[in-house]
Amino acid sequence: MKTIAPGRRLLLYLVPCLLASFVLLVYPVYVIRPFRAQGVRELGVALAVTRYRAPIMLALAAAAFAALAWYWRRERRWFRRTAATVAALAVAGIGLASRINIYELMFHPLGPPDFMAAGQSKLDGDEMVISIRVGAVARAYPIRNISYYHIVNDLVDGVPIVATY
Amino acid sequence: MWRAEVDGLRLRFHLAGINDQNFLMRDEETGSFWQQITGAAVSGPLAGRHLTLVASDELTFATWKAEEPQGTVLHERAADISLYSKKDWDVRMLRAPTVISYPESGLPPRELMIGLHGFGASRAFPLAALLRDKVIQDHLGSEPVLLVLGADGHSVRVFHRRIPGASSTPDFYRVLAGQTASPAALLMDSVDGSEWNFQGCAVSGKATGVCLERVESIKDYWFDWRHFNPATTVFRAKQN
Repeated sequence: MKTIAPGRRLLLYLVPCLLASFVLLVYPVYVIRPFRAQGVRELGVALAVTRYRAPIMLALAAAAFAALAWYWRRERRWFRRTAATVAALAVAGIGLASRINIYELMFHPLGPPDFMAAGQSKLDGDEMVISIRVGAVARAYPIRNISYYHIVNDLVDGVPIVATY
Repeated sequence: MWRAEVDGLRLRFHLAGINDQNFLMRDEETGSFWQQITGAAVSGPLAGRHLTLVASDELTFATWKAEEPQGTVLHERAADISLYSKKDWDVRMLRAPTVISYPESGLPPRELMIGLHGFGASRAFPLAALLRDKVIQDHLGSEPVLLVLGADGHSVRVFHRRIPGASSTPDFYRVLAGQTASPAALLMDSVDGSEWNFQGCAVSGKATGVCLERVESIKDYWFDWRHFNPATTVFRAKQN
């Protein structure tokens, strides 16, 4: 019976790990991108991938490094060892990259917010604000400010609210 | 504006994605994803749950300050001031492309609408119609509603057009400044000629002290409102 060479056997492990990691990283980015209409099903799949991929990618990285360790014991040529190491590191790197949400990197919610008395504000009278009253507290969120942050997590008279724009 | 709480659990949100040009929020506590305009969780442990709407207004600062002199305003963050939108940001946004449109409606995708959702129905009113007519009397489902433009020409409020305690459905008319019994008056009703202010409360006449019930509204682009409220109807202004 013909045996498979260590290099090919390694590829059988590493290539699927690399491909799977790459798909798990790229698919949500592809689906959830601006100026594109999202389908209900593809959005559901992309969000599910985002939520569940961390342990899968950890397992893929573990498998890649296990294959690498096995390969190092059988392969003495440094060029091949280095190439295999780079591939395994790529699987781990993709896994780490998947922990970054591009939107959360770009848009920072404002918090905790600071407020000033209405009489002290320098806002022009015709500036638009989103206003609320919760219990005894009245607050105004200038639209030009919250349209930058998009999200303001706040606590108004003990009630947690999220102002969005 | 949403109450950031589900079953007593406080939620803190991040902007975490986009769905048909309306952003998605992710809560830190459960990792669930929420649609901004509907307040509905679309993925995660809280999928299917809805945030509770918090009553809010979109007003000019001057109008709000006159109504709430003891109120507080969100402070600018010095490091971010240069990043805030320009004052004409809303005009610039009208030119931004959209990936969704409803040409059969005859409305441009970025037509600004006043969207109402309640009484088992959704209905959208072109903001331009309200800016022109100042007052719109119509129905949301089977209930009469009243859309009012503030004296500042920008602020908008919507009311249930029924006077508590009155049997008939009133009509409301815009009154001219300087020709009213109360300086705060903006409207007059057809029942007994009481005058009403922008907060929906009678300030002179037989109904003094009575307030109309508020109807929550949202200013939104037509494509966004229509997409997330597919059953919506549209108010068509009578052409003069």
